[in-house]
Amino acid sequence: MDEFPDFDRSWLPYIYLYGVGGIFFLGGMLLIFKSKACDWKRASHRRWAKVLIFGYFWYAAIHGVLIYSALNI
Amino acid sequence: MLSLLMQHVAQSGSDAAAAAAADAGSSPIFWFIVLGYFAVVLGFGSYFARFNKSTSDFFFGGRRFSWWLITMSIVATGVGSHSFLKYSGKSFEHGFSGSMAYMNDWFFMPLFIFGWLPIIYYMKVRSIPEYFERRFNAKVRALATGVLLMYMLGYVGIGLLTMAKTLGPILGDSWSLMEIIWVVAVVAGVYITFGGQTAVIFTDLLQGFILLFAGIMLFILGLNWFGGFDAFWNILPTEFKLPLSNFNDDPGFNFVGIFWQDAVAGSIGFLFMNQGLVMRFLACRSVDHGRKAAAFNILFALPISAIAVSCAGWIGYGMMTQDPTLVSPDTDPDTIFVIVTRILTTKAGFGFFVAAVTAALMSTVDTLINAISAVFVNDVYEPISKLRGIHHDDKHHLKVAMVASAAATVIGVGAAWSFSLFDNLYEAHGFFHSTFTPPLVACIFMGIFWRRFNTKGAMATFLAGTVMIILGRLLPHELIEPIAHGVPSIDPETGEVLSTPFKYIGALYNLMACFGSGIVVTLLTEKDNKDLEGLTMFSLTAARRMFKGSEPNDRVGFPQTVTYELDTSLPIGAIRMDREAMNHLAAEQGDLAYICDKRKWLGGLRSAHAHFDGVHNSGETVLLSQDIYDNGHFLPGKLLVVEKEF
Repeated sequence: MDEFPDFDRSWLPYIYLYGVGGIFFLGGMLLIFKSKACDWKRASHRRWAKVLIFGYFWYAAIHGVLIYSALNI
Repeated sequence: MLSLLMQHVAQSGSDAAAAAAADAGSSPIFWFIVLGYFAVVLGFGSYFARFNKSTSDFFFGGRRFSWWLITMSIVATGVGSHSFLKYSGKSFEHGFSGSMAYMNDWFFMPLFIFGWLPIIYYMKVRSIPEYFERRFNAKVRALATGVLLMYMLGYVGIGLLTMAKTLGPILGDSWSLMEIIWVVAVVAGVYITFGGQTAVIFTDLLQGFILLFAGIMLFILGLNWFGGFDAFWNILPTEFKLPLSNFNDDPGFNFVGIFWQDAVAGSIGFLFMNQGLVMRFLACRSVDHGRKAAAFNILFALPISAIAVSCAGWIGYGMMTQDPTLVSPDTDPDTIFVIVTRILTTKAGFGFFVAAVTAALMSTVDTLINAISAVFVNDVYEPISKLRGIHHDDKHHLKVAMVASAAATVIGVGAAWSFSLFDNLYEAHGFFHSTFTPPLVACIFMGIFWRRFNTKGAMATFLAGTVMIILGRLLPHELIEPIAHGVPSIDPETGEVLSTPFKYIGALYNLMACFGSGIVVTLLTEKDNKDLEGLTMFSLTAARRMFKGSEPNDRVGFPQTVTYELDTSLPIGAIRMDREAMNHLAAEQGDLAYICDKRKWLGGLRSAHAHFDGVHNSGETVLLSQDIYDNGHFLPGKLLVVEKEF
């Protein structure tokens, strides 16, 4: 019988990855807006900002689905 | 009794794999495929050598390529090195989490896409050490040059040695390790020496496709062996299928350590410090294409690459669970890729997979050799020539670059030989890698994003940071354990204290040591009295203005498809179009233009950058100056597309 993994084997790494990683990501987003490196007035920059946010949730979704599928025993 | 039986199975499993590999090595069809691959690679290198007319072409491919070409080239470089062997082995041991390092690179993308990439592109930074001189001073540049050259030469040595070790069991006892290393080095060295960056990019395009195709094909063959995806999925235990490893239990493979070592230090190192990768982005036709290449690579190519490089481990584990006589539980993880591939393929197929792995390794080596010659010419040869008051033209530098490429290959062979003397190759290189990269990473990062960060802080990051890293190695329990997130320093099986504890989470300490040294010294010393225009992410508008030489024109225009004519009376770098075309382009005199062969599949191979120099009355034709005509490699009778950049 396959054992159900502990929390620190299943969801804790996920929370840490997107929590601490999310702090770096959010810090980077704030910095690019604060420095005006990403200028919201320019259409191409707005598009890139959306791509960046999409990327964060894209990977969070991939990992989330994989963990859910693995645990679904 | 059981252990004796297992030992026998392990022995027979290893013997069977070795025998199968050796058997394939004696097959003509196997060699036809492997040698055919090498012939194609050499052919590519020689063909694209004709596109090198300057050092800009040799190192950066003339800054002309489309994003998709660069993406595939980055795939080949990123997947390169020893990925197939390493990640298959890790995945065989630890399951799907063995490839988690491929799926955690997005967190620093905002700072790369809107920070580092536009800075290096617009400021025309040819090498990472050059940025250090512009941002700080010549001493910091010299420190960075030394560290970077040692790091890259060591990596060339590792690449050559790994290639030789991959081919060794197949070639048999008649070839010594050094003989294989020399053959591989000559093949890699020839096409990089004569082909330059354009050869690397196009060869990597081919290799990138081969790598992904080979890996995915292996996965499909494996699923077929099990009788479909469901059968494969259901045979694997739950823990094996989890994409992230245990948080901190296993000192040899834990999530929190790999997060700091790979997702943080590794990602910053890969995106910001890898000279080979920086040169790839500088070969893009524009910053926007560089952004697309980076984003597409991380969002889509890396997850596919993760499957390609790891699937042999997953399949091997499934086979072991289903039939331990076929794949033994005691199989050496480093051999699982060869074992699984040999089980699933014919001799010809095996030849194709060996060629693919060799391609992966060669992509890393060729990128590094080109990067080393760029750093040598730009950061060693040119500064020394300047100091001696000697001025060389671009042709001379191109020759020096070629000699440097050849020399880097030879030194790489020497490094491979010295690494071959170590019992544990990766640990020796791991120590070298983790000691030298954090200072560079911290220095670049603070240099770009913190205006107050000064020259003394940069020196402290290099010198004090390195001293503290070495102290951390000597006193791990005192310095690293307090921040180790509970990662144990004791071997769970033997109960003994590990000789090199905290090998992953140590990256957190190394980063803290380097960032801490730089921050403390910067805050305790005076601000630099230096013009930082264009060198930090707070002045990118200035960087664009400096790149163009005047105010950017961001009015939206539409690309124009035209015929072309040569006009030798035009000044260097100039083109002319008629008034109507200029209006459609929303272009004005002095704006930057990109002229490209209309056939998009060429990826910008036949293209050039220019500036608009007035108008003419010759209809829908673009007039090209002699140098633009030469550098663009345009073919007679082919239509061109002209775009205004800004």
